[in-house]
Parts: sequence; C-alpha cells; structure tokens
Amino acid sequence: MMSHSKLAEIFNKDEAKVNWHDKALWYVREKRDTAAHHVKGWEYLRDLASGIKANVLSNLDNYLVEFEKNAQSNGIEVHWASNAEEHNKIVYKILTQNNATKVVKSKSMLTEECHLNPYLESKGIEVIDTDLGERIVQLAKEPPSHIVLPAIHKTKEEIDVLFQEHLGTKPSNGDPQYLTNEARKHLRDKFLNADVALTGVNFAIAETGGFVVCTNEGNADMGVHLSKVHIACMGIEKIIPREEHLGVFLRLLARSATGQPITTYSSHFNKPAPGNAIHIVIVDNGRTEQLSREDFRSSLSCIRCGACMNTCPIYRRSGGFSYNATIPGPIGSILSPGMDMKKHSSLPFASTLCGSCSNVCPVKINIHEQLYKWRQIITKEQKQPLIKKTILKITGMVLGRPKLYAVLGISVRWMLKYAPRFMVYSKLNAWGKSREFPKVENGNFDQWYKNRKNNG
Amino acid sequence: MGKSSILKSIKENKPTLISLPEIDVNSFEETINLVETFKKNVESVGGNIKELGQIQDLDLEIKNRYPNAKRIFSQISESVLGNVQISEQTKPKDLENLDLAILKGVFGVAENGAIWISDEQFSIRILPFITNDLVLILQKKDLCQHMHHAYKMIANRTRTFGLFISGPSKTADIEQCLVIGAQGAMSLTIFLI
Amino acid sequence: MKVGLFIPCYINQLYPKVGIATLELLEKLGVEVYYPTGQTCCGQPLGNSGYEEDAKGACQIFVENFKEYDYIVGPSGSCIHHIKEHFDILEQTEAVKNVRKNSYELCEFIVNILGKTNLGASFPYKVGLHKSCHGLRGLKLGSCSERMDDYYSTEEELLKEVKGIELMSLTRKDECCGFGGTFSVFEEAISVKMGKDRIQDHLDNGVEVITGADHSCLMHLDGLINRNNQPLRVMHIAEILNSCI
Repeated sequence: MMSHSKLAEIFNKDEAKVNWHDKALWYVREKRDTAAHHVKGWEYLRDLASGIKANVLSNLDNYLVEFEKNAQSNGIEVHWASNAEEHNKIVYKILTQNNATKVVKSKSMLTEECHLNPYLESKGIEVIDTDLGERIVQLAKEPPSHIVLPAIHKTKEEIDVLFQEHLGTKPSNGDPQYLTNEARKHLRDKFLNADVALTGVNFAIAETGGFVVCTNEGNADMGVHLSKVHIACMGIEKIIPREEHLGVFLRLLARSATGQPITTYSSHFNKPAPGNAIHIVIVDNGRTEQLSREDFRSSLSCIRCGACMNTCPIYRRSGGFSYNATIPGPIGSILSPGMDMKKHSSLPFASTLCGSCSNVCPVKINIHEQLYKWRQIITKEQKQPLIKKTILKITGMVLGRPKLYAVLGISVRWMLKYAPRFMVYSKLNAWGKSREFPKVENGNFDQWYKNRKNNG
Repeated sequence: MGKSSILKSIKENKPTLISLPEIDVNSFEETINLVETFKKNVESVGGNIKELGQIQDLDLEIKNRYPNAKRIFSQISESVLGNVQISEQTKPKDLENLDLAILKGVFGVAENGAIWISDEQFSIRILPFITNDLVLILQKKDLCQHMHHAYKMIANRTRTFGLFISGPSKTADIEQCLVIGAQGAMSLTIFLI
Repeated sequence: MKVGLFIPCYINQLYPKVGIATLELLEKLGVEVYYPTGQTCCGQPLGNSGYEEDAKGACQIFVENFKEYDYIVGPSGSCIHHIKEHFDILEQTEAVKNVRKNSYELCEFIVNILGKTNLGASFPYKVGLHKSCHGLRGLKLGSCSERMDDYYSTEEELLKEVKGIELMSLTRKDECCGFGGTFSVFEEAISVKMGKDRIQDHLDNGVEVITGADHSCLMHLDGLINRNNQPLRVMHIAEILNSCI
C-alpha cells in the first residue's frame, strides 16, 4: 500500500498535468467564492448549518426513529444496515424480489464506500452509473477521483477515446457537446430499460419522512421515474430535523460544490408514485464509531459538497487517486482513518494544515484541526518509519534541554556552512533535492545578543 | 437486527443534546428587485426567460421558440398547442418522444432562479425530465426572495413528489466545460406573466 | 509594558538578522524588550508531525522563559499560533494561560497593541506579500479569500506606510506555499510544487522581494529561488519595516 506522498510524487512526474488539474479545480473554487459573495449572511448561514448538524448528531437516534415512522406512514419501506455487507445484501434482496436484472444508479458515495457495484455485478446484475462523470469512470474501470466531479482527472481527449471504444462514437477531438450528447443517447436507452433505480440521499427529513436528491443532469429523476422501484441509500448522518432546514442546506450545497446557486434539480420524495415502491436503506458502516470519537465526530456533518477538495492546494496537485480512499481530499483524510487507520495512516499528513478546507466547509467542520489530532493518534498507534520517529523523538528531547540545544544548534549551523555539498545534499535529505539550504550567517541570534550586551 | 444495534450504538456514542439553532431570516433580507434578480439568475443557470405582456401571446412565443416541437403536452388552459394527453393509463415510457411540456410553475425563487413544481400538476412524474424541452409559466407575483421563504410557501402542501427546478439539465463533467442538455430537458424557457 | 522577545529556533540559528531586525524595530518603537536566554522552540515541528507529547519539555521551557512578561512577541506567525492553539497539552496553570493569551505575532502586536502603522521605514522596491496560513487563518492577521468577511490585512496596513514601496497584487491572494514544517520533507514533491507555483505567481506579478510575517515559509521559498536562480529575494517583514533606504 503506497503512501500519499509516494502516489503524489508519481502524479507530479507530469508537471503539465498537475498544472492542468490544479487550474481546473481552482476555477471551481473561484466560482464558489463568487457564488458565496452573492449571498448576504453567508458566514451566518454556515453557522446555522453547523449548528443544525451538531444538534442532529446529538439526537441522531431519535431523529432516525422519527424519520422511519413518517416515511413508513407515507408508504416508504425502510431498511437498516449495520455495515457495507448488510447494505449490499439488502439491496440485492430488493432486486431479486422484483426480478430485477438491470439497475440504473445516480451518484451515491455511500454505494461506492460499500462497493455495491462489484457485489451486484458478481450476482449477474447490470449496474449503470448514470451521472456522466460516474459513467466515464465506470467505463474506464476507475473509481471517482472527486466526490462531485468524478472524472475531473480525465482530459476530454481521454474521454473521447474511451467513448469511441465503449459507445462507438466518432473521433471528435474531445468535443464536450458531442460527447455529452452521445452519452445522453446511450443513457436514455438504459433509463428506458431499467428495472430498478438506485440513488443516494442528500438530505432526509425527520419531520416529514421525506428525502431530497440533488442532481444537475436529471439522471436521478430519469432513473427513478422510469422504474417501478426506487432504492435510496443513505448514511445515518444524512438526517436533518425539519424541512425548513433544507432552506439552509440547499443554499449552501451547490454554491459550495460548483458555484451554482442551486442544483438544477432538487427533488423532494415523500410518497411513491401510485403502483411504485420506494425503499430506503439506512447505513451505519462505521459512522456510530466515528460518533464516539469526540474530536472527530463533527466529520459526520459533511454534506459531500467537495469544496474542501477544490480549495486544497495538496489535493489539486496530487489528484484524487493519491488518497487511495473512497472519499479523497481533506474531508476524506479525517474520515478514512476512522474506517481503517492502518490503510489510511498517511492521509492526515497529506496537508500543510493551511486551514482553507475548514474555511470553505459549509458546515464548518474544523478539518485541519482534526488532521492535527489524527496525527497525534496515528504516531502512537501505527508503526512509523524508524528514521522519522527517531529524529523527532530526539528533537523533542533536545528542545527540552536548552544547553544541549545551544550546542547542537551551533553544530548544525557549522555543518550547513562547512560540510561538503555532497554530504549536505545527499539522497537521504529530502529538503535539498530541489531546494537550497539557508546560507548560514556568522553566529546565531543568541551570540549576537550576547555580544551586543557585552559591548553595550 | 441492524436497526436496534445502530440505535443502541448511537445512544451510547452521541454527545449530550445540543440545542437546535433558530433561523433568523432577517439576517438574509435585502431590498432587491425580485423580478430582475430572478431573471438574471434564470439566465445564469442556462434558462431562457421572457416577460409576457399578456398570456394571449403565449402560444405565439412558444411556436417561435420551439418551431419543430410536434408532440406537446400542455397543462395551461391558455395554450392550445397541447396534443398529447396524459391519463391514468399513460405509462412513463409512453412519453419517451415528447418534444415539449408546458407546465405551470407554482412559485419562483429569486436568489437562484428555481421554480417549484409538483406532481399535483403533472400526474406522471417523469414528465418535466423526459420532455425534450420544458416551458414553465410563472406569475410575477409568485416570486419570493430566497429559499427560507420558499420552504414557508410549501410548508402546508400535500407531500408526494415535488422539486425545485433551476434551468435546463446540464453537466460539466468533461473538463469543466458546461454543456446544456445532459439527461433531462435540453432547454427550459420561463414565461413570466 | 514588559515585552519578552521570542526568537523561534530556526530564526535564531539560521536567520539571526530577522531576529535583529525584530528587536531593533521594537526598540525603535519605544518598547522595553527583554530577551530571555535559554529559549529553544515552541514545539511546533513535533506537534505538526504527530509527536506533541514529546514537545511537552519544550513547551514547559517556553512557559518558564516567558511567564513574567506582559506581552510575548515573535516574528513568526506559525510559532505564535502553536503557542496559542496547542499549548493545551500542558496543565493549564495561570502561567500557561497567560503565556497563551499574551503571545503576539510581531505585526499584530505593532498594529493592535501599539496602535501604530507608520513606522518611518522606506523601501523602494516592488514587494509581494506572502500571507502565511497560520498567521492568516490561524491568528486571523487578515481576511482570507475564501471567507466572506470585510477585507483587512494587518501586514498590509504596515507595508502601505513604507515609503517608496510598491505592493504588488497577486493572482492567488493567499494560497499556501507548501512549507508545512516536516511536510516539506515527508511530502517533498507536493511541497516543492506548491512552492514553485507560489514563486511563479510573484514573478508573474512583477515582484522583486517576497515578504511575510513567517520566515519558515520564506525559508522554503528562498530555498527554491536559490536553487533555480530566480530574480527574486525574500525578506522578513521586520527587515522591511526596519529599513531606511
């Protein structure tokens, strides 16, 4: 399992691509800024969203029960899954009960997290991702590299080639209009022939038992309303108390995500259409465990807008795949260690702690502070590279001893000044690979101060 | 089994109750021209919008804008263009080749150009999505400033299926290039009366 | 007003002139400055690397050194931020609480505590301000581009008053430079790329001198500038504010 730094280093071998990736995401970040500037009371809106989510987490069990009761009274079937495996089995059972072999799916990070597609495919079910970006990565047999812009890592020329191969399109030099149109035809056919539609859930409302699904393409609705059965999968944390709270979250979500004032379609599902069925699968899969971690529980407030990825200077320059996690970027780096600390132990270190993620977060998760806290835990609980550990332990010891520190400070300065270049700039020394060391001056500040005092 | 263990685990792990903040809507109030703001935002999300002096001009305007539309569903009594009927027997797939749907918007939201519609107006839910083009008719008086007002306006509805629709279906999944017309309607035109 | 001068470890050893400029500047402003000897480090490099437990000794020494002062002033935003934010690992005695409360980054001390902006400096160059993240987003020395607050910048308030200076505007106003402490070596590739991009922004906007209130960022940028022989130099803001050219 490669660390983030290693994967980032590989990604950085193609600097032109890094620049391209960085610019594409920075453009989205700037659109987000502009959109937020147009909202009077934006920061207050974030405070509200944060406060509502904090209340949700402190009363989650009651809200879930309330939601279930109201949903059921509206004719919606509710299922509960403790983990990914249970979730997948429940979905499959619903499919078999409906003799379904063809499923169209709109974007759901939860089903990614549960690895639903390979599970269903192994049972002979055809699963088609219908969000254009998701369809692109599905054809390329890749996971999404971003939670809102799944194919942001792909150039239009790459997509052109992919579509030629899988959809039989003509070469178009990556004409987005043409490619989107061809995808529309291809997906239209899938929608018309699907047995069951699967969607995620953006917000589930305890008060009404309804839920909201947001898309720009209309793919969730195309799937749902052409099928007899709608399965909506949600993490337990998607609950909000009241419908009026949607006013807060829908104002924040799309602006934070893409800089749009709202997504094209914000669909409110309360009752199945006559003759049809809606199933909701409520999933834990590690969330209640994260809830138990006081320092990290607010990570469950995430509404999956992706703003922290777009603003993150590391994400923009290392790409989503460098995180090797369902949810990449800053928010993923505080969620993933809670799921599998060993696998994701390098992620909290993939940050300069610049704090921009926390500032763009519409629900004000203190992401960078949680990254710092995960670091303290990971160094204790996970095996660390011996050199790193030794150096830092010794540093700590020295810094606690002023006299020893004074002597060592002088020796380091002596080294930097007089040691031969090949020794200072060796392969072991990552600083010097692309950077010079500071030019060492005569004497340190301590010595200067002492001299001045003596002369003064 | 899942349910009881999840609820038990939440009970054990949740923090002490944090109170729910009240939304101070006054913080968001601005003196804005609702019609102008709405128009600007509809255009910014890729929609077309036109103010009509009188509803009688509607069909002419629609014909000008959608000269090739053949299969048309209209919910508006002032329009005679509708030639597709929807009944309880109509299946969603029957609307596959619908060229145009003309529907009434319940109200519009100035801050984002969104219009609320619900299946009280169209008994087949797929209608506004599967139609190639969509026309919504909206009264100028039915505009509100922002989403907090919007949710007040739908607070007492019959809850079945409804949505805010803001512009035509679109995507930017190929290199962030905006393409209008993804899986839903290829265009949205709003006539303000 | 008794002010304790905090000279962070890397400035003490590698950039004594930054420490000297800081001290001279404060004295010029009529402040009674003391420099407690036996300073080591605030412990930030350890904390950021996940070893804050091992930094307790350094933190204790810091508190011992500075507990008597009304204000503790240092020319490095990230170190001050670390004291304020992360000295929660110590037992919160009165001394610890006071030290955390009374620690100030140099610019915010001059502007907010001394209430001065025109320091009589002159520096006839095109200057780009690097707003270091821990100062900007941590200590709130200025408004950040991603927040919807009214614009302000503590460092700019000071720099604007410098005679002859031309403050150049940057394309990305406050993007991180990629230093990040030990991030600079453990995530070397990204760190270097971020630094290069930041420098390019300054070059593209005609900057001759990059300045900032955190010399650790500047050290990283300087290392890249020197390796790539770019027509730029870095100077700590204290050096500019202490200049009479």
